[in-house]
Amino acid sequence: MKDTQKVNILMVDDQPAKLLSYEAILANLDANLIKARSGREGLELLLKHDVAVVLLDVSMPEINGFEMADMMRQHPRFQKTAILFISAVRMSDLDRIRGYQSGAVDYISVPVVPEVLKAKVSVFVELHRKSRELEHLNRELESRVDQRTRELQESENLLRERADLLELASEAILVRDLDGVLTYWNAGAEALYGWERSEVLGHAVHERLDTRFPVDEASSESTVVALGRWEGNLVQKAKDGREVIVASRQVFKKEVASILEINRDITAQRQAEEALRQTERLAAMGRVAGIIAHEINNPLEAITNAFYLLRNHPSLDDEARYYAQLGESELARVGHITKQTLGFYRESQHPVNVPVAEILDDVLELQGRQLVMNKIKLDKAYFTAGEIRGFPVELRQVFLNLIGNAIQAMPDGGHLRIRMRTRWNEATGKPDLRISICDTGAGIRPEHAKHLFEPFFTTKSTKGTGLGLWISKGIIQKYDGNIHFRSIPWKGRNLTSFCVVLPGASPALKGLEHAHHAVGDETARASVERA
Amino acid sequence: MRIMRLATRQRELLLNEHKTLILCVDDEELPLTLRKLVLEKQGYTVETVRSATEAMRTLSDHPVDLVLTDQVMPGGTGTELAQSIKKRWPELPVILISGVNTIPPDAMYADMFISKVEGPAAMCAKISAVLAARRCSSL
Repeated sequence: MKDTQKVNILMVDDQPAKLLSYEAILANLDANLIKARSGREGLELLLKHDVAVVLLDVSMPEINGFEMADMMRQHPRFQKTAILFISAVRMSDLDRIRGYQSGAVDYISVPVVPEVLKAKVSVFVELHRKSRELEHLNRELESRVDQRTRELQESENLLRERADLLELASEAILVRDLDGVLTYWNAGAEALYGWERSEVLGHAVHERLDTRFPVDEASSESTVVALGRWEGNLVQKAKDGREVIVASRQVFKKEVASILEINRDITAQRQAEEALRQTERLAAMGRVAGIIAHEINNPLEAITNAFYLLRNHPSLDDEARYYAQLGESELARVGHITKQTLGFYRESQHPVNVPVAEILDDVLELQGRQLVMNKIKLDKAYFTAGEIRGFPVELRQVFLNLIGNAIQAMPDGGHLRIRMRTRWNEATGKPDLRISICDTGAGIRPEHAKHLFEPFFTTKSTKGTGLGLWISKGIIQKYDGNIHFRSIPWKGRNLTSFCVVLPGASPALKGLEHAHHAVGDETARASVERA
Repeated sequence: MRIMRLATRQRELLLNEHKTLILCVDDEELPLTLRKLVLEKQGYTVETVRSATEAMRTLSDHPVDLVLTDQVMPGGTGTELAQSIKKRWPELPVILISGVNTIPPDAMYADMFISKVEGPAAMCAKISAVLAARRCSSL
């Protein structure tokens, strides 16, 4: 370092004696002295060395001092190189020297006074050394700035990469402060909850998502803060009101007073599990049904027969006969339940053409008395005879159930509307038969809706077996059909509609359209307004 | 004239019904006895056996007018019995009576399927209907 810091002084003179004397004068300046015998040689040496100052004799043959200085100034590297002209004091020379305003230029007149030469050279040497130091510092600074910039760039790239990863995640990733106010919301959260970033940032998360905690909100939140992390399942609501179940992991970041949260949608998984449980329950139900059918029905028949014989026995007095009758009628009830509910009893072995219109009319006739007693106004319209291949007994059971439920839901009167029509099914390329049974009764509470078709689910407490809709659904599913329902508030009451869809209906029959007629109550002509 | 003759014939059949012999098959003794008693009250003559094998033996021994058999029995189901009977006596009516509500797949060999929970009145009505149909077709 020291050696390289030693500056170079280039001395250009055509007279070797002068060069020797300059060398002697400048010997103790601690500089490399480079000698050139002509302007040309001087220029060559300039290119090889980093020269601090050029000692330049003005009067030289070939290229004189001024010509060499001009050439130097044209070269970008040497524009600032200090030049010390050695010249006889001639006015023309001095004027010319003053012309080199830019750059460090000075002159020494002949005869050269050693102290002056030494002083002037050392000023230039010092100047060069300082500027070189400055340059070095500058370079170092620049490289440090470069380094820092590079580091910043790298960490920025890394951050951007991480941010991209967060956006790629299918999980909902969110950050909120201790008041629950959201500060980050990734694309996964947008997809899961349907809320866009702009709609949620700055809002309280649990308000937006209507979060239901497994424990209460306050204790769950304090757990995150106290233990630093929390894991569990939450039930939340998406923007469209859909309920989502998420497995949530939350971490508390003390230094930024934020909670980082990752929520994975497990709704579908939960539903699949629920469906599986349901299927298992149904299978168990089926096994139980089989056992009951066999083990109960056999003794049941014997007891029924015994009561039948007892009731008709001539030795019985009226009181004893009355008791026997009571026993017999209660047994009939048990028999009815096992027959209607445990196993789908088919009367015929092969499906026959069943006009559903006839079945509906049969059922309505059967329920006629109940319709009158409950002051229910009936409005029915069949736009087709609704003929399908099937088993009349079980179809009758379905409609007896649905219509019976509708009537029971309206103990204080109401409207019962029945519609049957065919509708083309794009998927099967055949018409579907659609029968809707609509009442203005008690309605179905949302929390009951999910369980409506489950076995042993009843809202009629002791009156119902809780099997009616389960069996009806089972029957309709055998026809590859479906039952669905809707219950909505209407004029201070509830409008509940069950719709049975049976595939493979014969096309609508002309002439049957708008076959409006009432059954049961003769005054039951008022029609239910359309919801 | 013809109508008159038919009416007379029908009366004869009604009278005959009281002498109708029914073979009852069931592995369980008590239900079998009670079923027999109910049928006897109805005016039928009833013989009881406890298995399909016994039923076939009885039938080989002497004719009956109708067979009423339980479906689920050890050593041969009611439908199997119906099949064997129809092979040898295709005209003999066979009625299945079962505690299981589901009709077995091979029930077509029998003339009718009755669920036990339908009760004695329905059972008697169905028996009488099958007998009437048999007589009409043999007229």
